[in-house]
Formats: sequence, C-alpha cells, structure tokens
Amino acid sequence: MPFMEFVNFYLMPGIVLGSIYALGAVGITLVFGILRFAHLAHGDLATLGAFAALGVVTIFGVSPWVALPVAMIFCAFMAIGIDKVFYDYLSERPKIIVVMSSLGIALMLRALVQVIWGVDTETYTRGIVRPENYWGIRIRDREIYTIIAMFAIVGVLWVFLQKTKWGKAMRAMSDNPDLALLSGVDNRKVTMLTWAIVGILCAASGFFLGINTELKPLMGWTMLLPMFAATILGGVGRVEGAVVGGLIVGIVEETSVLLIPGEYKAAMAFAILLLILLVRPTGLLKGKVL
Amino acid sequence: MSQSVIEQSVAENIELPGYSGKPILTMTGVRGGYGDADILQGVDMQVSEQEIVVIVGPNGAGKSTAMKAIFGLLKVRGGSIVVNGTNIAGWKPNRIVQHGVCYVPQVDNIFREMTIHENLEMGAFLRKGDISDSLERVYTLFPDLKERRSTLAGNLSGGQRQMVAMGRALMLNPSLLLLDEPTAGLSPKYMEQIFEITRNLRDAGLSILLVEQHAKQALAFADKGYVLAAGSNRHEGTGQELLADREVAEMFLGG
Amino acid sequence: MELIGLLNYAVFMAIFIGIYSLLALGLNIQWGFSGLFNAGIAGFFAVGAYSSAIVTAPESSVHLGGFQMPVVVGWIAAMIAAGLIAWPIGKVCLRFRSDYLAIATIGVAEIIRLIVKSEGWLTGGARGINKVPRPFGDLSYLYSQLAYLALVIAIVFAVYWAIERQISAPWGRMMRGIRDNEDAATAMGKDIKARRLEAFIFGAAIMGLGGALFAHFNRSITPEAIDPMIATFLIWIMLILGGSGNNRGALLGVAVVWIIWSASEFLTDQLPTEYAIQAKYMRVFVIGLLLQLVLRFRPEGILPEPQGVSSRTETKTFQKQESAAK
Ligand SMILES: Nc1ncnc2c1ncn2[C@@H]1O[C@H](COP(=O)(O)OP(=O)(O)OP(=O)(O)O)[C@@H](O)[C@H]1O
Ligand SMILES: [Mg+2]
Repeated sequence: MPFMEFVNFYLMPGIVLGSIYALGAVGITLVFGILRFAHLAHGDLATLGAFAALGVVTIFGVSPWVALPVAMIFCAFMAIGIDKVFYDYLSERPKIIVVMSSLGIALMLRALVQVIWGVDTETYTRGIVRPENYWGIRIRDREIYTIIAMFAIVGVLWVFLQKTKWGKAMRAMSDNPDLALLSGVDNRKVTMLTWAIVGILCAASGFFLGINTELKPLMGWTMLLPMFAATILGGVGRVEGAVVGGLIVGIVEETSVLLIPGEYKAAMAFAILLLILLVRPTGLLKGKVL
Repeated sequence: MSQSVIEQSVAENIELPGYSGKPILTMTGVRGGYGDADILQGVDMQVSEQEIVVIVGPNGAGKSTAMKAIFGLLKVRGGSIVVNGTNIAGWKPNRIVQHGVCYVPQVDNIFREMTIHENLEMGAFLRKGDISDSLERVYTLFPDLKERRSTLAGNLSGGQRQMVAMGRALMLNPSLLLLDEPTAGLSPKYMEQIFEITRNLRDAGLSILLVEQHAKQALAFADKGYVLAAGSNRHEGTGQELLADREVAEMFLGG
Repeated sequence: MELIGLLNYAVFMAIFIGIYSLLALGLNIQWGFSGLFNAGIAGFFAVGAYSSAIVTAPESSVHLGGFQMPVVVGWIAAMIAAGLIAWPIGKVCLRFRSDYLAIATIGVAEIIRLIVKSEGWLTGGARGINKVPRPFGDLSYLYSQLAYLALVIAIVFAVYWAIERQISAPWGRMMRGIRDNEDAATAMGKDIKARRLEAFIFGAAIMGLGGALFAHFNRSITPEAIDPMIATFLIWIMLILGGSGNNRGALLGVAVVWIIWSASEFLTDQLPTEYAIQAKYMRVFVIGLLLQLVLRFRPEGILPEPQGVSSRTETKTFQKQESAAK
C-alpha cells in the first residue's frame, strides 16, 4: 500500500479519533487520580454534552462551534451537580460503591438523552464535507480543528495544573490526599474544580465525536472502553499519558482494519487494556495502580 | 502532674513551676481511636513556649495516634486539646493549620510527584501573597534543598525527603510543630542534622512536639519528655530526669 | 378464560423471576460475598445462552449446530463456557482494585456482543439460533409452562443450596474477610487471588446457566434478547435492593424489581404511542434513580447480610489494627 494511502485512510483518521479519546481519557485520568475511582458515567456525560450542543444549534440556529462552549459550561455544571446530588453522599463508603453509583448515572444520563432527543441518529450540519488536499494529505477542516482543539484544551489544562495554585492543589490531592488535607487544601473545592474540568472535557470529546461522525445516544458509552484503555495505557493520573494513550488507541483502532475484520475495531481497546494490565499496570508513563 | 493542675494552669494562665514559658499546647484526658475502640485512654501532655517535648514509647503505644488526635485526623471522644488558649478538639485539619500548628506525619509526608519547590509551596497553601520570606528561611535551614529545588521529591534520599517534609510544615511559620519520628530509617549523620535543626528551630522560638524512637539521643536535648505506653501516660519529666530514671531506662530505652 | 390467562401470565413471570434469580445469585457470589464488581453480566448470560443453544439445537444451514446433545449437556456446556470466559479476565484483573474488573467486564460484554452479531456461522447473526429444544416442550401449553417452572425452581434451589453451603464453609468466611479488607487481602498474596478467581468463575458459570435456561425457555436466542446495559443493570439493582451478601435478599430483590419493572411496562403501554419511546426510557431512568436512592438511604438492602456472620465495619477495623500492629 502506498505510504500516502496509509496516512490518509488510516493514520489521519486514527489521530482524529485518538484526539477525541484523549479528551475523554484526560478527564477519566483526573477522576481516577484525584477522586480515586473509575467513573463509568464518563462516556454518557460526553453524550449529554454532544446533544446539549445539538440543542443549542437547533434552538438558536447558531454554528456548532458557538454551541461548543455553551455545552462545555453546561456539562461542567452537570458534573458538579451529579457529584453534589449523588456521589458526595457516598464519600465515606468504599470507593467501589461510587463506581456502582456512576454506572447508574451512566444509565440515567443516557435515558435522559433518549427521552429528550429520541433514539434517532442526528448531525450538527447537513451535507457531505469533502476533505481538502494539503500536500497530498487529505483532511477535512473539522478534523484539523479537532486535533488542534485537543492539544489546545489539554495544553491550557497542563499550564493550569503546573502553574496555578489550585492546579497544584489538584496535583497534590492526586499525589497524597492526606498530606494535601494537612496542608490546608479544602478537598471539597478540589473535588468541585475537578468535576468542572471533567465536564468541560467530556463535552469537548462528545462534541468532536459528534461533529466528525454523528450523534447517537450510545455514542459515549461505546467510547468508554477506549477511553479507559487510553487512561490505563498512559498511566492513571497522568494527563500527558492520557493524550499519548488516546492517540495510540485511536491509531490502533483505525489501522487494525488492515489485519482484522472491521467489526472488531472496537475490540482493540479491550485487547490493549488487558495487555497493559498484564505487562505494565502502571502504564507507559508510570501512573498509579489502584 | 495531675490533670486538674494542668486545667487550672490553662484556665488561669498560671505558669507551672519548672517549665519555662506559657503553655502552647495542653492535652487533658484525651481519649479516641480509629474505630469504636479507644486507642488513647486519657493522654495528658503539655508543651510550652520554646520547648522541645519528646514522646517516647514502644511500638503501637499510640504516639502517632496522639499526634493525629491533635491534628483532627481522628475522632476525639473525650478530653480537651487546647492550643494557644482555644480548644481545638474536633476541628478540621485545615482550620488547625491556620491556628498555627503544623504536622509532619511519620510516613507519606511528601508529595512525591511534585518538585521540592512545589512541596514547599503546598506548605504555604493557606497563605495569601508573597511567600518568598518563608521559602528563604526554609532554604537557609536546609541548604541541600535549595540546590535541588526542581527535583521531584520522590527521587530524593530518605534524609532529604525528611527535610522536604519538615520544610513544608515550616512554610506557614507555625508556633507549634509536630514531628513524628523524623529520623526513622536515617543514617546517624542525617539524624544528627535533623536534631540540630530541631534545636535551632526551638532556639528561634518554635515549640516542638517530637516523637522519637532514638529516645536516648532525643531525651538528651529535650526540655521535657513523656513516656507513652498502651495509650496512656507512664512517665514524665525533664529529658535528663527520664534518662536517669532506672525503670524508664530498663523498660523503654533498652537498658 | 380470564383466569387461565392470568395463570399463564403468572407462570410466565415466575419463570422469568427464576431465571433472573440465577443471575442475581451468581452476582451475589461475586459482589455480595467477594466484593468483585462485574459490570458485564449480560455477556456471561449471552455466552451461556448461545453455548447451550449451539450444543442442543438441530442442524441448521445458518449457524454451527447439529450436535443435538441432551439439554443437560447444554446447560453444563453453558456453565463451562461462561466460566472459561471469566477465567482469563479474572486472572488479569483480580490483582487490582475492583474498578479495573468493572471496566474489563464492560469490555467483555461488548466483545461478546460483537461476536454474537458478526460471527453468523457460529451464532446465526441477527437471526440468532432458533429451534432450541425445550424440556417438556411437547406438553400442552400450560402444562409445559408449569413443568418448566418446576424445573427452574428446582435449579434455583439447587444453586441456592450449593451457595449457602459454600458460604458457611471456611471458603465463605475467607471470602468475606477478603471482601472487607482488600488491602490486607492483596498483601496476603496468592491463595487469596485463587479464592477470588474461584468466586468470579463460580458466579460467571451460574450466570451462564441462567442464560441457558432463558434460551431453552424462549426456544431461541437472538442478539436482541440481550440488551447489555439494561440486563446487567437490572440484576445489579435487584441484588442491591434485596440485600447483597444475603441470598434470600437477592431472591426477594429479583421478585420486587421484576414486578416493578413489568408493572411499569404495563403502565407505559397504556400511554399513547407517540410517547412510547419517552416512556420506555423514563422507566430506565427511574431504575437508575432507584439504585441511587438505595445506595444512599438503604445500602444494606431490604434483607441485610446477617450480622454475626460478618459485620463489615467490625472486621475492617479489626484487620486494620492487626496489620498496623505488625
Ligand atoms: N489507621 C489505623 N486504623 C486502625 N488502627 C490503627 C491505625 N493506625 C494505628 N492503629 C492502631 O493504633 C495503635 C497505636 O498506633 P500508633 O501508630 O499510634 O503507634 P505508635 O506509638 O506511633 O507506634 P510506632 O512506634 O510503631 O510508630 C496500634 O495498636 C495500631 O494498630
Ligand atoms: Mg508512630
């Protein structure tokens, strides 16, 4: 196969899909690292974000790109709200109970989307967009925006975590929660901040999946496994690891069709997950193992 | 010293004979534990201004538990913990920090994945505005740390980690510092260094409550010492008194 | 006529309750007694259903088959197949906190769903496997139903009895000890890993049996019969509401939730058809909400785990002290 064909039909789609996974995986890694549980409602929160943007598009007739920030803010508040109404009451109990609660939230969020928007497939815009040709690389504008937006959003988050007081508090909480408490960090504030960021990231990943493919009530749930695979592959608690992991999972899924039937694309994430747990549970960048 | 005398001294702010300054910390009949059972069965302790008070005792005596009780990390079911004239029993850790008490736990006392500098910044989390004066002070106390300020704390040696942990606790300029076995597992050289710094801190005006396994060395410079066993006070006195006490020496200092 | 209809419906419901009971008992072994989080119950159910169907169904041009083994062989095959799937997953994931198992089992269920849909030669694809023989299938309708119900009840009781026996044996005490203190458990090493793996496989095998009973009852199995998320979730809410760690609680939970679930379907069926979709998913939403309420207000369920056998908090502090004292 010619090299350019590989780039255009396997690598680029892989990077785009990987960017979407990365956005989700970064959020998962924050919850896993700071709040210390596997958040199973992550995918469905992304679905909600994608549909919230659709709602803004249909009601106000604006461009999807205008709807994105609205959806982000909406999801941030949803995430904080879900924590306040549900997870927070379970904080004294074993963490696995919160995992169970989040499975229920996943179901509830999806049911909500299905009640409001029905079960049909939707899109943000109609019509087919043909890819542009840049020096032989064929790529659609929205795909370029997806990749750029992923790096921009994660970049901003990175600077926030490294440079600001509350960013450092989040890292401290992830590193050593007891000591963070002893240093006077208010864990309720850190928790809220984390959920706000997670909501924003969820909305982004749902939105970009929606704009590159279509919106379906199950879109987020099917992303859950690849996003978790990416998180664990990169190393739990490692933001940069989640990006690397997301890109790898995306590229592996898209290129896997060269070797195995396309129906099993979704199985690659699972294979990666088991493999990494088997050979290197800390992930590529030495994350936590819970 | 009987409980009531301490209580009285707190209430009336009387200085007890034989002790230098006014009391910073007074624990009276403190009881508490992790589950339903009490580990601490009525602990009394007092630390006065500019004092090093050393707690010694066998493993599992409840020394760390006593420190956690002061710091609001476990439920105190009885007694009072008075710091600077206020009973702080039942307060949350972040409020206690603001009240001028800082604590270096026995284990897990650094942020491994953060640099030395960031560890110190976390120590000053509750402070608003410029913290360079405190940073400067800590770096002067621990010159080793200054050179390696951008190293991840998890990559340091045991002694250096202990310095980071102490440095972090000093960032808020506390009036009372709780140190839980800061020399555990350190080489004699590092141990001496830590003790030296502890004495310097006292001389600079700090009160220090120190749990130590190296009991002999620590009691030698302690202003006062308590022997804790099975969750309650066994002996107390000045460092020298305890060192001279035959029973204490036999039972708790290894002969 | 009316009465017969009602009786038929009651028997039908009872058979379903029996099948769900097996799934809930299987989950109780994993979660209730051992603290293992299985979020892929539907997957093990499907494996059992398809295995038994393939082993017992007559020759077909569409899917693998023609072995026409006795039904009992099918059921045993179902248990073995489900256990075999559980084995590698448990092997990899039980070293870590249960969060990882939750994710991996979601993955397993997903992969099984993919296989069922895409490997037509094996599973009949979207058309599924039909002509699955049903024990007592040639009796008249009501008697056939009643006979099958009796069979299901007998199996549920056999499984119930087997679990109860196992749980009061040293094996069960050890399992609860492990569940209540995962940290100490992982520190204690190999033996515990083996015990947890046993519990996971045992539970999965029973879920597989539940799947088999379902396939033979329906005389067919298709991908539609397995809605991964909802099936899995219903079992969870049944167990948690009934009382995890208590087999009788599990059975009670199944009955209560199944009746609520069916009654709500009955109610929503009365709505005008334009609300059909909304109504269907409102039910799902309410089930999710029910779990949240139970977790928050009655985490021990209707029938709590008997005290004295093991109180979670007591063992916990006891073991912590022990391990800290070392
Ligand atoms: N987190 C905990 N949960 C339950 N019990 C605990 C916990 N930490 C300590 N204990 C128990 O409390 C008692 C006192 O422990 P503590 O850590 O205070 O002893 P110590 O005097 O500091 O001992 P060491 O010299 O070993 O540090 C012990 O019996 C211990 O088992
Ligand atoms: Mg100790």
